[in-house]
Amino acid sequence: MAFYRAHVLVCKGTGCNASGSSSVFDALGEEIRKRGLDQEVALVETGCHGMCEMGPIVVIYPEGSLYCRVSVDDVPEIVEEHLYKGRLVQRLLYTTPDRKVKVPRYRDIPFYSKQHRIALRNCGYINPDNIEEYIARDGYAALAKALTSMKPEEVLSEVKTSGLRGRGGGGFPTGLKWEFCRKAQGDKKYVICNADEGDPGAFMDRSILEGDPHAIIEGMTLGAYAMGADEGYIYCRAEYPLAIKRLVGAITHAEEFGLIGDNVMDTDFSFHLHIKEGAGAFVCGEETALLASIEGERGMPRPRPPFPANKGLWGKPSNINNVETWANVPNIIRNGGSWYASIGTEKSKGTKVFALTGKVNNTGLVEVPMGTTIRDIVFDMGGGILKDRKFKAVQIGGPSGGCLTEEHLDLPVDYESLTAAGAIMGSGGLVVMDEDTCMVDVAKFFLEFTQRESCGKCVPCREGTKQMLLILEKITSGKGRMEDLKILEDLAIMVKEMSLCGLGQTAPNPVLTTLRYFRDEYETHIRDKKCPAKACSALISYLIDPEKCKKCGLCARNCPVKCISGDRNTPYEIDQEKCIKCGTCLEVCPFQAVFKE
Amino acid sequence: MKDITLTIDGKVCKGAEGNTILEVARRNDVYIPTLCFLEGLTPIGSCRMCVVEVEKNPKMLTACTTPAQDGMVVHTQTEKLREYRRQMLELIFAGRNHFCMYCSQSGDCELQDLAIEHGMDSVRYPFLYAAFDNDATHRDIQVDHNRCILCLRCIRVCAEKVGTHTLDLQKRGWNATIVADLGRRLGESSTCTTCGACAQVCPTGTITLREFAYRGRRKDCDDAVESVCPLCSVGCRIKAYVRTGSIVRVEGTSVTEPDGGQLCKKGRWTLPRSAERERISVPMIREGSHYREASWEEALELVAENFGKAHQADSSGALVSSLCTDEELALFVSLFKDGLGMERLDTFDGDVLRGFVKGFEPFREQGIRPFTAAHNILNSDCIVNLSADPDEEAPVIASYMRVGTLKNGATLLNLSCRTSPFADITDIDAVCPTPGQSAALVEGLAELVAGLKASGGKALEEGKISVGELAGKAGIPEETVEGILEKLAGSQRPVFVLGGCLSRDPVAVTSAVNLAIASRAFFEDGMGVVPLVVSGNSLGTINTVLAREPWLGREKLDFLYVYSTGLVPEDEESLSAISGTKFVVVHCPFWAQPLVNLADVLLPAPAWFERSGHYCTIEGERRRLNVVVPPKGEIRGLSSILKDLSAGLGVEPGKPKESPCGNLFASEKPPADARMVSLEEVRN
Repeated sequence: MAFYRAHVLVCKGTGCNASGSSSVFDALGEEIRKRGLDQEVALVETGCHGMCEMGPIVVIYPEGSLYCRVSVDDVPEIVEEHLYKGRLVQRLLYTTPDRKVKVPRYRDIPFYSKQHRIALRNCGYINPDNIEEYIARDGYAALAKALTSMKPEEVLSEVKTSGLRGRGGGGFPTGLKWEFCRKAQGDKKYVICNADEGDPGAFMDRSILEGDPHAIIEGMTLGAYAMGADEGYIYCRAEYPLAIKRLVGAITHAEEFGLIGDNVMDTDFSFHLHIKEGAGAFVCGEETALLASIEGERGMPRPRPPFPANKGLWGKPSNINNVETWANVPNIIRNGGSWYASIGTEKSKGTKVFALTGKVNNTGLVEVPMGTTIRDIVFDMGGGILKDRKFKAVQIGGPSGGCLTEEHLDLPVDYESLTAAGAIMGSGGLVVMDEDTCMVDVAKFFLEFTQRESCGKCVPCREGTKQMLLILEKITSGKGRMEDLKILEDLAIMVKEMSLCGLGQTAPNPVLTTLRYFRDEYETHIRDKKCPAKACSALISYLIDPEKCKKCGLCARNCPVKCISGDRNTPYEIDQEKCIKCGTCLEVCPFQAVFKE
Repeated sequence: MKDITLTIDGKVCKGAEGNTILEVARRNDVYIPTLCFLEGLTPIGSCRMCVVEVEKNPKMLTACTTPAQDGMVVHTQTEKLREYRRQMLELIFAGRNHFCMYCSQSGDCELQDLAIEHGMDSVRYPFLYAAFDNDATHRDIQVDHNRCILCLRCIRVCAEKVGTHTLDLQKRGWNATIVADLGRRLGESSTCTTCGACAQVCPTGTITLREFAYRGRRKDCDDAVESVCPLCSVGCRIKAYVRTGSIVRVEGTSVTEPDGGQLCKKGRWTLPRSAERERISVPMIREGSHYREASWEEALELVAENFGKAHQADSSGALVSSLCTDEELALFVSLFKDGLGMERLDTFDGDVLRGFVKGFEPFREQGIRPFTAAHNILNSDCIVNLSADPDEEAPVIASYMRVGTLKNGATLLNLSCRTSPFADITDIDAVCPTPGQSAALVEGLAELVAGLKASGGKALEEGKISVGELAGKAGIPEETVEGILEKLAGSQRPVFVLGGCLSRDPVAVTSAVNLAIASRAFFEDGMGVVPLVVSGNSLGTINTVLAREPWLGREKLDFLYVYSTGLVPEDEESLSAISGTKFVVVHCPFWAQPLVNLADVLLPAPAWFERSGHYCTIEGERRRLNVVVPPKGEIRGLSSILKDLSAGLGVEPGKPKESPCGNLFASEKPPADARMVSLEEVRN
């Protein structure tokens, strides 16, 4: 067996891949070989580390040093300095935004130090294509324990004790859900993984699928054992080709090792896992629409009751859980349900993965214990607001969620407290907004999305969200009336109550929360025909300050509609009639003479 | 079924376990408005009109889909529910272009009715005025998407009852529209069978039948009479709408029937169109190439004169349509057989029926009813198409086969010398090069399957024909034979559909029943066999006018009496035999060409809609026809005409027998007692 004195882990998650980590990986390989170090230094590709803002990320062990934004040009220096001479490359280390301090060790970086990685424990550590690395980190130990020393009811009992709740957004107690399926009458049952992560900007599930696919496989096998199922499906969206590739590979390896398939680990228990690709519909993330899609029908939701636990895939009892939920299961079985229940708050146990995005310094994935405050996530781990601007709101839960304001910064993140504040946990998308974000525009953005994704089956969602969107479009283009706010709110409440599925039931949430906390912004749009955040293009004007204008003409040369006039002696002026509000002049002006009003 | 009790709007309502809230409410006369719901189709809860509030449940639940539970307390008419229902209607009206003023369905529209019921006198939302397609590509069915409320009834009926699943949705959300065949307009569809079921279930004026638009709202019609379609052996129950003496629309009676009320392109259009055809309204006598009007006395005298002479010379015969009712057939028998003692009595397509009768005879002798009600195809787990072309012979049977296969998971096998008519959904298509080889295949399979079943599906008996030999004889690959054996041996309730052409060789029919026995195709009412006999009352002719041995065309006769309903064209053979006869009387409602041109005397007959009676259909029931429009003018009922004719002939007709087809529907012995018959013996 080879013994390496150092391991170089290169993140090959989709984010870092897009920033060029593939070339970095290849360059490192070449350089290491060139220097004759390939017998002493192992080069490993891993899944997503989470701190995507800083990608491509390279972590070197045994020190655990994390290098940020590594490019191909940095490679010779890293190999020379760190691997050959044992000295850190200071300029590539993480720097805290406020104190300008360099943090050499990965686990000291606030982004990571405050995390408690359970679902993400292997992401960034192991090569996801190598099943042996998964096993080396206690992979499949939970399955072995369950199959050899636990009865199915006992496995279910551990999950119940853990207090795990559905991580896809519903927050339904997982153990209870499993119990419904277990108790359902029928000789054929299915377990299903909802990997159709559709929220725009959410990538928690993607990172787990790409970085640690075996966690899902083990989790589902444990679930099948507990509930009496012998077949499973992973419904993965087609927009995640890398995840699908890794899953296919992982299933093949697991079958070769006898860890799924006929007679798992030489016991009587058999479990076969299939992959079904989605085809670009957000609504197929809704569990009954997902079932319809697997059955080969149009992905439209079905009324519940009856629930999938009793009548699911092809009419058989089925249990559907989110990727993150399944990923937690092996840990719960290995360490015990009470261990999991010791983390988190009273009603929300364990941890949650959040995709921190928006106007923060450190965007990426964080997994925190339930009960962590929003302030900690945004300011400690996120490193505060970009460009030192002021925090305005944070959108939690994507297009189904709601906005929370400054007064909620110390709210502990858990299902109950978020719902009480009018938001929802959702799948974990957290979008941070600053003073330049228009809340009406945010509501419109999310509603545009849900409206486009509505399947069209039920009247309230199909027609109601369309009418709501029309009102928002009127308001953001300066044609709104005060009566529209009442109609909008009434529609929103009705659509929420009357829709057939979760898409329609939660589509009005962004509208309702922004109306609740930012009603004044709506009123300004209507009454004053102005956008306070200067974001709604119909309501803003681009102007040039004649004092600051140095008459260079750069703006006029770049204006796509040639509506700026002036010369070496006259300050430039924008013709408001022709201006299309593209903002190019503001971007190119070297003297900040262009401003929005 | 356990009983449950709910309280709906304060009223105690009893129901059965498994009922939905809506079912319990309807049972107890509690009204809950619905729109997308149609009894007989899977409820989907999409219109939200039937939302109710259930105590202890925070959600609004759709009554049509929610299972009722014992002890539920339901409220259906709260302020909020009424307000929300009205908002649903307003959203629907604002979303598309519902202009009632010129819609053919105005006054007969469920959306309009609900809007009026909910006091919708204004719409608070802006009308979107988007342009949707008005699809007039199909010759008979129009689809105006501007009026569509996406209730999806058309899709459901087409998938669940007709089985072609021609219609479905394209695109998402507000832009979603109904399309045919994954994206075509209806007229361009290659799977649409033009049955018109979609138009029948459409609650608005979206899908309309072009021929019957504006001819009369269902509510305006003077009468809506239930009767039976005569055009094929299924005998679907129909509802004929009458307005000012015209039949303005024919529909299936209900989606809850096994046939889903779907009718077919034959019944839905031919029947109302026939009410506009030119009638033979008075008796006519031929002079050279022309017909002149005559009185009943003169005509019947002429008939009796020629009939009497020919009968004396034993050169007369009578040909009676198999679309006649039992009562009419009984009358014919009472005159021709009992009164006159005339042997030459037969029906059109008699050969087809004779083939089936001869083929079934050995089993009738065993006291077994050799066929089952056609809708049992829906309960089958293995459907076998034996040389049938159901889309032509009996479209609703084709629907049963499709639904049985696609929805109910049955296997579909085709054993024939033509490719399966259901090419895309057939599990095994065993096409033999010649009919003889196809018959040999069925014969051989019967032996092998019997052996397999006897040994619990494990081994083939020794000494019988081998799989390889049979494959060679039949001219199909060995794997195909093996596959068929596997499916038949493994099935619990197979059904064999026998095409009309199979009956050309009665031995093939016997062989088919043998195969059914070998496959243990036993249903409660008889063997799992569905013979596609020709018309609505073909079965009724078996015990009445069907000749045991064919005589038509074997010799030139002096006299022929021909009774035709004029609805289906007569076959070549019959027409040629008729034209070779010296004196022909044609008794028919319509100027049916070319038959009427061969007559010496034309007698007016009541049309299908002008008389009542019974049909024995392959749905295993004796169904009642009713008078839709009473006969006018000189048109007399059959019994009075035959009475006068008997008098003219100087004979007493016998007493018409009751229910001539009673024995067709009873099995004296349980089907499981049936024994296979040796084909060598039958051949001799």
